[in-house]
Amino acid sequence: MLFWFLTVMALGSALMVVFSKNPVHSILWLIVTFFSISGHYVLLNAQFLAIVNIIVYAGAIMVLFLFVVMMMNLNDISSPLKNKWLKFAGVISGCSLLLVLIAALKDTGTMQQEVLLNTGKIGLINNLGTVLFKDYVLPFEISSVLFLSAMVGAVVIGKK
Amino acid sequence: MIALILSALWGVVMMFSGIFLKNKKAAAPVAITGIIALLIVSYLEYNAVLYLDADIRGMLKFSAFGQVFTGVVFFCTLIYFILNAAEFEETGNDTFEYYALIFFILSGIGLVTYFNTLLMLFLGIEIISIPLYILAGSDKKNLKSNEASLKYFLMGAFSSGIMLMGIAFLYGASGTFYIDGINVATAGFSPMIAIGLVLLLISMSFKVSAAPFHFWTPDVYDGSPTVVTSFMATIVKVASFVAFLRLFDNAFGKVHAQWQILVALITAATLFIGNITAVFQQSVKRMLSYSSIAQAGFMLLAVFSLNTFAKEGLILYAAAYSLATIGSFAVVIKMKDYSLEGFNGLGKTQPFLALMNTIFLLSLTGIPLTAGFFAKYYMLIGAVKNGHQTWLVIFAVLMAAISAYYYFRVIQAMYFKEGNAEAKPVSAVFKYTLLFTAMLVIVLGMFPSLLTKALY
Repeated sequence: MLFWFLTVMALGSALMVVFSKNPVHSILWLIVTFFSISGHYVLLNAQFLAIVNIIVYAGAIMVLFLFVVMMMNLNDISSPLKNKWLKFAGVISGCSLLLVLIAALKDTGTMQQEVLLNTGKIGLINNLGTVLFKDYVLPFEISSVLFLSAMVGAVVIGKK
Repeated sequence: MIALILSALWGVVMMFSGIFLKNKKAAAPVAITGIIALLIVSYLEYNAVLYLDADIRGMLKFSAFGQVFTGVVFFCTLIYFILNAAEFEETGNDTFEYYALIFFILSGIGLVTYFNTLLMLFLGIEIISIPLYILAGSDKKNLKSNEASLKYFLMGAFSSGIMLMGIAFLYGASGTFYIDGINVATAGFSPMIAIGLVLLLISMSFKVSAAPFHFWTPDVYDGSPTVVTSFMATIVKVASFVAFLRLFDNAFGKVHAQWQILVALITAATLFIGNITAVFQQSVKRMLSYSSIAQAGFMLLAVFSLNTFAKEGLILYAAAYSLATIGSFAVVIKMKDYSLEGFNGLGKTQPFLALMNTIFLLSLTGIPLTAGFFAKYYMLIGAVKNGHQTWLVIFAVLMAAISAYYYFRVIQAMYFKEGNAEAKPVSAVFKYTLLFTAMLVIVLGMFPSLLTKALY
């Protein structure tokens, strides 16, 4: 029940992100999307992930988004005119992709029990830390190179 | 493994030396020292003298193929650094940081050659891409460079998203990120595996700029500073190809028959669009970027055929194509005018540069006695031995013949047209390195086994 509520909320708000004319509204809808996805994480026993998703995405990144959009003052810019045929081709290819994705996903097994009751410890930070620093220590360390290069890049671009 | 760590560390060293050595001219020697150290370490690792025994849970797999390939990459980067040292100083104020970013890219290249899980593949592709977005925009005052950077970033982020989606589908179908596990799971070939495969195919085709995912390539290559283009079009591109080949060989090798026709179509489209569009280019730099699409078509033949010839051929192709293109770009950078008219009469004013450029262009065409010939030969023989789509081989040969037209047009402009081509003065080191590169191209063209036998 909760699952369906969250799913409808996630899909609906994601559609609103795309269809809103006002960019600020888009961002607010995106926050709703992140919250409903966090709800899904909780249902999957990933509590830590759910909290981090809210703190980092809904909190920090969305605030940055809002700042940028407000600074650029995009409100009065209408979307540029596009070729009619281009739109038509876009709709057709998008729908075919949707069809293929649905075809791929329709045979997947559904879980009988959606939530592990009473034993939901698997997604707590304790277990996560153990797995992260034992099984996934190499990708963990290597992603630091990725962030370092991104930081260097930001400084290089930002400097005069 | 040690080379991989060292390449990431040397990026940090470059940044710190940027603080302590204020002089821009000091950047190149530090970078060259680093790359030589990397070459030595990777040689020692190849001979199993150096060995790091770390518990990495099988996330990376060190094969002779990967080690030879990283050796080739480090070597090409060394030549690239020596040839372009002067241009790096002219591009902007952050010379040290540019070198640092390139070292980070090198560690990313190490990851995509050795990956054994999709997680490492993704990290490697991202470590390659993100510094490149910045390098593409390193000429900050130039609007075209900014446009190239932004375009590359948006398209690259989009293709990374597609790749992640593919990985998610594969994980859903097989329950593992490990290549071997996915290989086992492909036996059933469920719709989920199929969609994951197609999404990965799309994103990898984007990274190697195969048609119809090539639209970003000409603009980005043309807009970026020429030094950066030279690196993007060669070393990064061949690394993406090695990742492509390894992914589709190890993870989807069992269902080769299912996707082969898809790759064949992409190959044919890439060869066609790359070669035909290159014919109409007036700027040599833009011509070289279309030629890089055309050459990508040839390298795709390796993914198409997936046999020993393909693997040997890809290493050879990586070396031949990178050396020739780096050399050719190094000559283009020295020109005052990048258009075809700008090359008129270079044979008289700068006979040395013209001769070297001729050798590189001949190698790119695939004329016998140059490395490009054997590289193309291996690719074609691999596709012939595979034996499924003979039309593709005939088509590829036809397209190689067309490619001769636009490469020879530059040679014609240099030697047979009257003009006053102007080039910047070049240093002695530049000349000797260029000569060495050209000789290497010819030596590899006569004895390709020098490289291919290192695989065994």
